[in-house]
Amino acid sequence: MSIVQVTGLRKYFDAVRAVDGVDLAIEQGEFLVILGPSGCGKTTLMRMIAGLEKPTAGKIHIGGEDVTDLPPRKRGVSMVFQSYALYPHMNVFNNIAFPLRAQRRELKFDKRAIREKVENTARLLEIDMLLDRRPRQLSGGQRQRVAIARAMVTKPAVLLLDEPLSNLDAKLRANARDELKDFQRSSDITAVFVTHDQIEAMGLGDRIVVMSEGKIQQIGSPQHIYDDPANEFVATFLGSPSMNILSSDGFRFGFRPEHFLPKTLNDNPDNARILQYYVKRVEYLGSDRLVYGYVHGHEDKLTLAKVPSNVRVSLDIEGDYEFAVHNSDIKYFDAVNGRRIEQQNLARAL
Amino acid sequence: MSRRALPAFPFDNRRVVGILFLTPALLYILLLVGFPFLLAIAFGFSDVTVGDTDLNFVGLQNYMAVWENDVFRQVFETTIRFTLISQVFILIFANILAIIFTQDFTGKWFARFIFILPWATPVSLAMIGWLWMLDTKYSPIDYLLLQTGFLGPDGILSNNRNLFWLATPDLSQISVIFVQVWRMTPLATVILMAGLSSIPTDILDQAEVDGARFMRALLQIKLPLILPIMVIALLFSMITMFGDMTVVYVLTRGGPVDYTRVLGLYSFQVGIEGGNLAQGAAISLFAFPLLLAMAIFMLRTASRAEVQ
Repeated sequence: MSIVQVTGLRKYFDAVRAVDGVDLAIEQGEFLVILGPSGCGKTTLMRMIAGLEKPTAGKIHIGGEDVTDLPPRKRGVSMVFQSYALYPHMNVFNNIAFPLRAQRRELKFDKRAIREKVENTARLLEIDMLLDRRPRQLSGGQRQRVAIARAMVTKPAVLLLDEPLSNLDAKLRANARDELKDFQRSSDITAVFVTHDQIEAMGLGDRIVVMSEGKIQQIGSPQHIYDDPANEFVATFLGSPSMNILSSDGFRFGFRPEHFLPKTLNDNPDNARILQYYVKRVEYLGSDRLVYGYVHGHEDKLTLAKVPSNVRVSLDIEGDYEFAVHNSDIKYFDAVNGRRIEQQNLARAL
Repeated sequence: MSRRALPAFPFDNRRVVGILFLTPALLYILLLVGFPFLLAIAFGFSDVTVGDTDLNFVGLQNYMAVWENDVFRQVFETTIRFTLISQVFILIFANILAIIFTQDFTGKWFARFIFILPWATPVSLAMIGWLWMLDTKYSPIDYLLLQTGFLGPDGILSNNRNLFWLATPDLSQISVIFVQVWRMTPLATVILMAGLSSIPTDILDQAEVDGARFMRALLQIKLPLILPIMVIALLFSMITMFGDMTVVYVLTRGGPVDYTRVLGLYSFQVGIEGGNLAQGAAISLFAFPLLLAMAIFMLRTASRAEVQ
């Protein structure tokens, strides 16, 4: 059974439709990532699940109970904010103990139980030696752990995380991602993670919800969303550099730069589409060469190719080459609404 | 930057612009604060009067005379008492009002505007208003109490038709403190509102998700976080109040007897009305070390709370 059930959820701020009809079921124990560009409504959706924002319409069920009109404290959720929102005037111990004390009456904790729980959680996150420090004496990574400890200490049904890694520097971030995933898996908690960073989303999510303009564009596993995008938005939003999109008669088609390779590398030319490619510029990125150029007949659109460095084919600037894409790697989209069209249906769509 | 690269236009020179921008503030401080202050110190150590303006150094004579004066001692005590009592009420009301005014409700802007009026009105004008409200014979408050049966022949509060707001020892003191609280609460409220709205929304949201109800969020999150700003608000209103003479000058002239005579008024009465400039200066300077110590202590507390 789903632990969180969102049905027909809408939130309008005057004329702005921040969340515009979202249906979503979050399963017990999964790591769900809500991914989208800024302003797509992902944070508003999460704040409504937390109870910090009142929906304009729709229902939210948590653990089978309708919580749409309940305040945050009655929902069994906890949250980690992007800024970590540690209470600056309290030491780490009191920060972590705060939700326990606030919910003491509901959860029936005595003083000793609180101390025990705080210490256990702190040990789990390896911050037990920091309990006497104040937030300002902590590094970014330590602050993040304190915030997670505070969110976990009450053993919530759902842990909501609002871009909690974006304040860490790049090196720490990869590490923190790994630890967060391990931690979530071992504690078997349901996590909802909001981010605009596709690498974070791909790396962390059991499932990814891609949002744009207040609507869900696609839900699926990272692999599924990457390989089988539901529409042009999802196709271009995921992947870096993003998918090349070219126009044809009545439809558009796209292929990823890493699938666009010199024809000589292609072992099955019958199953591939051959394109004449004019190379304008080549960037050496170490593991890859990133090639900027134009496909013959589509000179209005800069097209990228990502050639692995172990491919020794020489690519000269201002040279013309034959490049190929596997037919299965080409995705077709409706020219009007951007929706995906299966290749076999293409003839009918035209 | 090399010397040759110095800008040609004088306003491009940082020194010129710096001096230009600082001059008005410096002039203000030197002429309207520094000069009178130094003059008061000079007067305090001299025998200057309105009739004899020669400055003859007399040492601590004025201060000794003032300190041995029973009236001064009572005035000093009254000033401290009025200031402390009113600060308690100002802080309580300002906190409550600041919390109300930072919530969302219809008509908030109008309510804020009305509320700020006591502070925006010139003191003397506002005090004349209160003089009428608290009038011995025609006080509208007395009239209302009379109509509702609290005053009059069978009145609950008094058999008289009036309470004599400014004429009895107890009521005159209560009235003065009340008016001071009425006048100073808006400023403290505005300062506290600024403090409350500077608390990051994330922190308040976090407290809500963590399960804190209104009182816990208020006592454990909001108030501790605005403590430094509260100290500043307190300092402002304490210093203003300690040196104020307008309120009592208009309402009671220090009476009945000496019950509402405060330092500022007494200094004015001795120095200007009585013509003894030297003693007047000495009286007002008595407050200086006290206020200075208080200011230093409070600002230190505030900055310590901030770095935590």
